[in-house]
Amino acid sequence: MDKLKAIGTINIRKTAALAALLALFLIIPHYMRNAQLIMFSRVFILAVYGMSYDILRGYTGFINLGQAIFFGSGVYLGVIFLNMQNNLGSFVLALGAVILFSAAGGFLLSRIVLRTGGVVAAAMVTLAIGEIVRNIAERWRSVTGGQDGLPLRFSRVALDPLFSTRVGGYYFSLAFMLVMLLILRAFILSPTGRVLMSIRENEQRARFLGYQTNRYKTIALIVSSIAAGLSGVFFAVIARFANTDYLSIQYTLNALLITLVGGTGTLYGAIIGSFFVTWIQTFLLDLNRSFPGFTLFRYPMLFVGSFYILLVMFMPSGIMGGIYRLADWYRSWKTKRVT
Amino acid sequence: MADTILRTKDLSVSFGALRAVNQVTLDIEARKFTTILGPNGAGKTTLFNLISGLYTPNEGRIFFRDTDVTGLTPMQRVQAGMGRSFQLTNVFPKLTVHENIRLAAQSYCKVGYNIFRDHRKFQKVNEKTEEIMERVLLQHRRKSPAAELTHGEQRKLELGMVLALEPQVLLLDEPTAGMAIEEVPTMIDIMRTTYAMGTTIVLIEHKMDLVKQLSDRLVILVNGAVLADGDPAEVSRNPEVLAAYLGGGAVHGSAS
Ligand SMILES: Nc1ncnc2c1ncn2[C@@H]1O[C@H](COP(=O)(O)OP(=O)(O)OP(=O)(O)O)[C@@H](O)[C@H]1O
Ligand SMILES: [Mg+2]
Repeated sequence: MDKLKAIGTINIRKTAALAALLALFLIIPHYMRNAQLIMFSRVFILAVYGMSYDILRGYTGFINLGQAIFFGSGVYLGVIFLNMQNNLGSFVLALGAVILFSAAGGFLLSRIVLRTGGVVAAAMVTLAIGEIVRNIAERWRSVTGGQDGLPLRFSRVALDPLFSTRVGGYYFSLAFMLVMLLILRAFILSPTGRVLMSIRENEQRARFLGYQTNRYKTIALIVSSIAAGLSGVFFAVIARFANTDYLSIQYTLNALLITLVGGTGTLYGAIIGSFFVTWIQTFLLDLNRSFPGFTLFRYPMLFVGSFYILLVMFMPSGIMGGIYRLADWYRSWKTKRVT
Repeated sequence: MADTILRTKDLSVSFGALRAVNQVTLDIEARKFTTILGPNGAGKTTLFNLISGLYTPNEGRIFFRDTDVTGLTPMQRVQAGMGRSFQLTNVFPKLTVHENIRLAAQSYCKVGYNIFRDHRKFQKVNEKTEEIMERVLLQHRRKSPAAELTHGEQRKLELGMVLALEPQVLLLDEPTAGMAIEEVPTMIDIMRTTYAMGTTIVLIEHKMDLVKQLSDRLVILVNGAVLADGDPAEVSRNPEVLAAYLGGGAVHGSAS
């Protein structure tokens, strides 16, 4: 009985904390400058991109080095559709298009990758495919604008007048993140999500329970690709510009870093990871601008790189993992004090 | 013949120069308890690996209920009704006892492809999970990660996971391997109950004492080939078996 009550209070406390956090996120944009609003909008959208990666890396135990294909294609599709007509209708069409594209792409990728077998082989193959796609995009100037990229044509503001202020974009991104968090969480908690977890733990045994593991991995790849593609379309609204960087290994590494920093297998970790990765990149760029004299600050990746190495060394399961460990430690410390 | 549920015909596999399984032809009768006995390295586990689809044979065929299953994947064989357990505990170490068994129950209930509903809301899966945890006496450990169980408990979990699949043929690879003596009777009880419920059991064992009472039939495997096959009492008196497998009177002792 006591235990039940304790669980009840924890749940109430957790709900209250989440509600307070949500209220905070709803209020703060009114006190932010444009640059901060843009940063937060990016954080929310990249969090979804990170979650899409977590589905593969954290829940299925599969490393896809071509994830940016879907994110980048999403950004392109977003800009292309808004360039046809800058309204909600064509935004929704872009979403539909990216879902179809990512589902087909994820399926094709699974056909190629799951044949090769091992995790390392899959990583290499996806890396190669990603580079091929980026190269094609670079050459296909009539559609992608090549290396110059593709800006919004009619108006500087996406979905004008909806997002003529950056606050609109902030709420839009926040809502997107929350909806995707709920959807992906439901996916993870579904029977299929459980099978994915068992594949990560011990694929051979999952097979001997009668699960066709490759089919489940295909489902994971498709769901992950769709989530990455959708986040790309939303990103287009904030960035108002597409170029081939969004298709490159750099952006795949961003997703990897987000899950690395935040922790895998939690989905929430991607939110924390996205905050951190976005913030540290902005911070270091600012640093470089504020101290133009320091040559060292001209190489922000030097700091970023060292930071990530330290993080992996001291917090191998990311910030979320660190938090869970601290909580465990605190609980055992409390029970020890009582007895 | 009509009641043969599982059949191997001239089954062979080699690893390099070693012929680990050599021309094994076996007819497993439905609803009978068959035990395969043999010294270390005799090829018992390899035989199961062939039957369950982990290895591909160099020669020979495998039939399950008169269908040739030699070309099927392990998953397809499980879905057809063949279940196996592993000699080396093979579970999901970070998942809890409950989650381990639920994954097996979920496979049995065939709801794995549902991507919308919360997995905890499947009544049939929940009931099956509870039933199996009760059968292998692990209810009190439901929330423990499998990695934290004692060896004996892990063996029970291993068994529980294959039981949850409700296979028609149950291939058990030394379920009592490494267990403490006092834990063994529980395992035997579980096997006996399962057998009484009409499941065909093929058991790999080391220890003759354990299985003589239990088995309808004893198959002796030595150097990958069947040396003797038949009634347990007869086989255990067979002079060839005594000489080749157990080196004299050790038949009643333990070969491990
Ligand atoms: N994958 C493999 N590759 C190479 N050799 C193997 C392989 N699997 C089994 N063997 C060899 O085949 C022979 C039979 O092994 P197996 O595991 O089937 O014996 P076993 O009868 O189960 O023995 P135990 O009682 O020790 O479990 C052994 O000599 C073993 O080393
Ligand atoms: Mg063996």
